[in-house]
Amino acid sequence: MPDAVPPNPGSAKPFLATPKPFAPEDEASLREALKRCSPSAFESAVQYRKTGNPEHVPAVVIGIIERFVEPDLRIKLKDADDDLRLIEDLGIDSLTMMEIVILVEDVLQMSINNDELRNLRTVGDVKMFIDCKIRGLALPKPTKFLPIEQIAAVMPIQPPFLFLNEASVSSSGANGKYKISGQELFLQGHFKNNPVMPASIMLEALGQLAVLYLLEGATPEPGKVISSSMIYFTGCEGVRAHRVCRPGDILTLSIKPKRMKMPLATFEGAIRVGQEKAAIAEEITLTFGYAEAVVPPPAPPAAEVNGTAPTKPTTPSATPLRAAASA
Amino acid sequence: MPRVFITGLGFITSIGNDAVSVTQSLRELRHGLELYPPFQTPEIPVKVAAPVRGFNTASTDAEDWTFPAGISIKRELLRGMSPHVVYAWCAMQQAIADAKLGEADVSNDATGLYAASGGSPYLMGHMLERMHKLGVMRCSPLGIVASISGAVQFNLVAHFKIKGSSCGFASACASSSHALGFAYDDLVLGRQKRMFVVGAEDGNMDAILPFAGMRALSLSTDPATASRPFDTGRDGFVGTGGGVVLVLETEDEVLRRGVTPYCEVMGWGQSSDGHNVAISHPEGLGLRAAMTNALRSTGTAPEAIDYINAHATSTPIGDASEARALRAIFQPSGARPAISSTKALTGHGLSLAGAMESGFCALAVRDGFMPGSAHINQLDPECEGLNIIRTTLSQQPKFALNNVSGFGGANVSIVFKQAR
Repeated sequence: MPDAVPPNPGSAKPFLATPKPFAPEDEASLREALKRCSPSAFESAVQYRKTGNPEHVPAVVIGIIERFVEPDLRIKLKDADDDLRLIEDLGIDSLTMMEIVILVEDVLQMSINNDELRNLRTVGDVKMFIDCKIRGLALPKPTKFLPIEQIAAVMPIQPPFLFLNEASVSSSGANGKYKISGQELFLQGHFKNNPVMPASIMLEALGQLAVLYLLEGATPEPGKVISSSMIYFTGCEGVRAHRVCRPGDILTLSIKPKRMKMPLATFEGAIRVGQEKAAIAEEITLTFGYAEAVVPPPAPPAAEVNGTAPTKPTTPSATPLRAAASA
Repeated sequence: MPRVFITGLGFITSIGNDAVSVTQSLRELRHGLELYPPFQTPEIPVKVAAPVRGFNTASTDAEDWTFPAGISIKRELLRGMSPHVVYAWCAMQQAIADAKLGEADVSNDATGLYAASGGSPYLMGHMLERMHKLGVMRCSPLGIVASISGAVQFNLVAHFKIKGSSCGFASACASSSHALGFAYDDLVLGRQKRMFVVGAEDGNMDAILPFAGMRALSLSTDPATASRPFDTGRDGFVGTGGGVVLVLETEDEVLRRGVTPYCEVMGWGQSSDGHNVAISHPEGLGLRAAMTNALRSTGTAPEAIDYINAHATSTPIGDASEARALRAIFQPSGARPAISSTKALTGHGLSLAGAMESGFCALAVRDGFMPGSAHINQLDPECEGLNIIRTTLSQQPKFALNNVSGFGGANVSIVFKQAR
């Protein structure tokens, strides 16, 4: 296949960047395939097939989804935000999803694998997915569920300083849980006869979840791999503790990436215990680098952010928190 | 032993899309045959078929199909259907209304559904063609569900929320009588209180024409006489499709609900020829045994039978074979039940036949008539001594019997009796 798109190991073979000449009979079959879709979906499909310009694709995809949605629910797609859920909001079951896929494949001349579909839960997922396919980009990573063994296997941080029991990681963020066992060494002194989880450690746990995201969920530049030995804390802002957490509490942690530009990645994070807010961090910023085996890492980042430059440790064992949270 | 009654009927057939018009067609011997447009090309020697009217299912895209006024099916349901499933779905709604069943009567642990159809060769063919042309992942996700022979019960059981027994029967033209027979057994054994029995066929080109290869189809070009069971000039069957649903209920349910049944199902018998994969035993030994079993198990003397709806499909060998079986059962006692094959009017419905003609028997027993065997110009000498009625009789049969025979030599006979 003569194309300019770089090979893409994360997905099925990318397809033509330069489309085949679009013949009149192609237009006729396209018209037939899209006969129950809006005229604009058809027009966009024609434009895409003629020019290969991915900008036409979202209108085709939305037009195809709309055709399979019950008429009374179609209004939701009119001003669709990308968080509109396929199953819950649009009533699309897995079989209808297959019908959508088959028509998309037919119209956009692409092929989609079953295992690529499982993670498409929103209209935005679908648009992103097809856009990635068309541009030959790596697909967003599916949500991964990691038990403690897997977390420990990938993390530079290890027990007794690892504050995650389980985690799930997707391209849009990570969630984790940590149960305060009461056996943590520092609880003997924090506080005297009054074990309370230090807020600094809670912030550390959020930072660890962000590290896990960088290693398992983030999509680095093509061909690059984030090195687990080059992630360090640089700063945090807007940290608030709302609840005293004690042995027996299960911390539910979540982080979402806000910005990510080599060498910095900024996240927002929150911790709950049950339905109660325990702590939030408006921004946690980490620095990272790419593994040398793949590509030489850029020069170590200047310690501009918050003036808390990490001193490069000789052992990659921890992500030490320098800033204390206000407890 | 619990008694079993027929309390509801639904018909989508070549001679009418409801019980009233079917009854009228049977009484007046109005046939449903026509020069079937898809057959009118030089390459196709078969010209006549008996399609259902008011439905257009010519497209391979179910969303293009059109239905008689008042019928609309949501896309979500339609995508798993083939033409025969649509017919059965319509017949099911009629039967439920006819039997005065509420939602809770239809959907409960004690209500099941047995069905029979040959599937949809038409949609199966389309799907396979698509698969070979566009690749395996481009087949409609519900193509299998819509086209294999279980399509009718998959759809009806899901859409009508059937919770009791359900399965399909595949004994070709005996299938829906097997469904009825085993439904009867489930009721008698106390496994269920109510059973829907469904027969359905596409009855379109792909369902009918494959029978041309074995020279089973009539090549007649005259719809008025193409199907003529027991006539010396018969030259094969005429294909039809449609959907028929019967509601069977135990006596307890009939009394509890206070409904008036069409008739009682007395019981049934079956037997196999053990002879040939596609040809009836020349002496009708299998069908003879099936009738013997049905009469014995219901404690009915041959002379008690007033009306027989024969299987006779208008093929030279099959009709003669059945005539011999009928002579062997009824002549020794001097019984002369009225015999007719309503396939002269409807054409042969294959898997649909048993349910459709059992439905006709139920109408005849309740409404007091015996439909004539139409289109006989010269009676086959094999029928000598048999009372093959050529016109409709306005007499109420007390006992009626329905025969079917399918490929592989499967035969089923069912005995119906006036209710009360």
